[in-house]
Amino acid sequence: MQRLAPATVLTTTTRVGTPLGAVAEQYRAYVGQKLTQLAADVAQLRAGLPGNDRSSAQRRWLAAQLTWQQVGAAYGSFGRLGAAIGGLASGLPRGVADPAFTGLHRIEYGLYSGERLPDLRGSVDRLAADVTALRAGLAKLPIVPTDMPIRCHEILEDALRDHLSGQDDYGSGMAYALTSADVLGTRVVLKELKPLIPAPVLGHSPYDQSKAALDRLDAALDATKVSGRWPDYRSLTKHQRQPVNGAIGAALEALYRIPSALGKVQ
Amino acid sequence: MSVNRRNFLRGAAGTLAAAGVLGSSRPAQAEGRGGGGDPDPATISVPFLGANQSGIYRPDFVQKASCFAAFRLLVDDRAGLQALLQTLTTHIQSLTEGSLVGSNPPRESEIGGLDSGVLGAQVPPDALTVTVGLGAGVFTDSYGLAAARPRGLTTMPVFSGDSPEPDWTGGDLVLQVCSNAPDSVHHALRDLTRATRGMMQLEWKILGFHSGPRPTGAPRNLFGYKDGIVNPAEDEGLVWIDKNSGQPDWAIGGTFMVVRLIRMLVEFWDRIGVPEQNAIIGRDRDSGAPLDGTDETDLPNYPADPDGAVIPLDAHIRLANPRTAETDRSRLLRRGYNYENFGMSRNGNAETGLIFCSYQQNIADQFEATQLRLAGEPMTDYIQPFGGGYFVVPPGVEQFGGYLGEGMFG
Repeated sequence: MQRLAPATVLTTTTRVGTPLGAVAEQYRAYVGQKLTQLAADVAQLRAGLPGNDRSSAQRRWLAAQLTWQQVGAAYGSFGRLGAAIGGLASGLPRGVADPAFTGLHRIEYGLYSGERLPDLRGSVDRLAADVTALRAGLAKLPIVPTDMPIRCHEILEDALRDHLSGQDDYGSGMAYALTSADVLGTRVVLKELKPLIPAPVLGHSPYDQSKAALDRLDAALDATKVSGRWPDYRSLTKHQRQPVNGAIGAALEALYRIPSALGKVQ
Repeated sequence: MSVNRRNFLRGAAGTLAAAGVLGSSRPAQAEGRGGGGDPDPATISVPFLGANQSGIYRPDFVQKASCFAAFRLLVDDRAGLQALLQTLTTHIQSLTEGSLVGSNPPRESEIGGLDSGVLGAQVPPDALTVTVGLGAGVFTDSYGLAAARPRGLTTMPVFSGDSPEPDWTGGDLVLQVCSNAPDSVHHALRDLTRATRGMMQLEWKILGFHSGPRPTGAPRNLFGYKDGIVNPAEDEGLVWIDKNSGQPDWAIGGTFMVVRLIRMLVEFWDRIGVPEQNAIIGRDRDSGAPLDGTDETDLPNYPADPDGAVIPLDAHIRLANPRTAETDRSRLLRRGYNYENFGMSRNGNAETGLIFCSYQQNIADQFEATQLRLAGEPMTDYIQPFGGGYFVVPPGVEQFGGYLGEGMFG
């Protein structure tokens, strides 16, 4: 993963005083809205558990998961609370049975492995508490302004690595739904950065190329829907997966140029 | 092989100057193998420009590593396909010349550079060739190419004894990447897939290796037999499509490529004993000689052995090339590699075998005629063909600025 030189980061720890600092604060406000939505999604999920309607609980989990994806919490940018809310079982000694496996994917695992809904109450309560804590700490959360350009491709790097490999699927098969939400999150960051991206050189605009590539990725994702519904990713053949794999690869090859295009902006 | 080597050395001598341009301090060495040393393969640049693609009639003895990668096209129109072929051509030319694909040092606007760095800051040519082939799926109305389809280019039929696996079969476009070293093959494929990510996606990919002479002569396959001893020379006119081939004009200077992925059941093979192995192949395992000869380059004398008392009538070499006037024009150029894949079969056997690759002017008259003669041969019990495909290889790019397949678009 490419990073800007450390010296660049050190000189841009101010908040609103720089162009990227202003973008970071815009992003903080966006995250705040999404976390408010996430809290509401989790409350809905929690309220539905006693009714013991599994497919309804699965839909409510997906709504929460997609809201979280749109936050664009790539590469551990929300620290411990980010891991508690959106973390995976990988790296935990007991895997899915590890007490440290918490949050949205833990709930997905329970919902799709036949765990009794009332038994998921503890996990949902814990998630609600973690979301509350993240919202409370958001104002003081350090958002390094120079990380904003990197986020342009990191969000979809995560999608490629985790969703499209099937590695973060705990039973739902919703890799394309999650990837689609990641595209939304990427578009938000890209739009905020747009005014700072230098004018095209020789007709090659990193912004235009990125936007066009994201449009093609969305089109490839939408083309996989059956009667308006996302397919179960695990059941797709290689031929069904190739268009999305190609489109996300092309999008990343465009988006990775944004950080260097912004290399001099602070 | 001898003809190939002479051709190759002419090419190598012509590129020692290029090695100098790259700043190599290695001195030009004497020509010929064993005659005072070969040029360092890392400095060999196989010329890209020419009437034919350069990776076909080149001796593979300096190309010990290979990758065969088949792709599905994601471009959906003529302009998209042209852009893909132009991108491939530009990158292949740079890679084979050993120049840097990106700039060096990378411009500030390209942090990380455009080259992977796997071969260091100075990319050596490493005797790299990349051969591009196109499958039948390219010649459709979507690309305005339905009328340009070469005669006889179909999907590969299922032959007797085949066990085709969809994950390993077909493809719209194939790349045969061959080089002196595995890291160079990796570098080239990584560069080419990066440059074309949204335009095509892998269907299947398999890495192959060539053995060195053990102890002399043609390399051995994984049955332990010297393989590729007999290949038609270029001037026999069996490989390149010409104006008498009945093919579209654009294909003149091209050829047809047949790839067969053939699993070899080496565990079983190792249990049957050398005499039986020799009878199945028709050669002596140690020397590589036909069973009626003493040296690997000896020609078998079938007329003197009409009943197969020495070389059985169903021995592999006898069926593959009966050396009769009627079968003479069915000979083909083989360019195969051994493979050993990760992991193992479900039954615990090794996943290993042969990437069979042949080049010929006409698939039906050469590859298929040979394949039909081999149907039911005793070797069938020890092999399982499971993948591959048929491709047409466009002619070479003769002038800078042209691109592979340009002629198809009329």
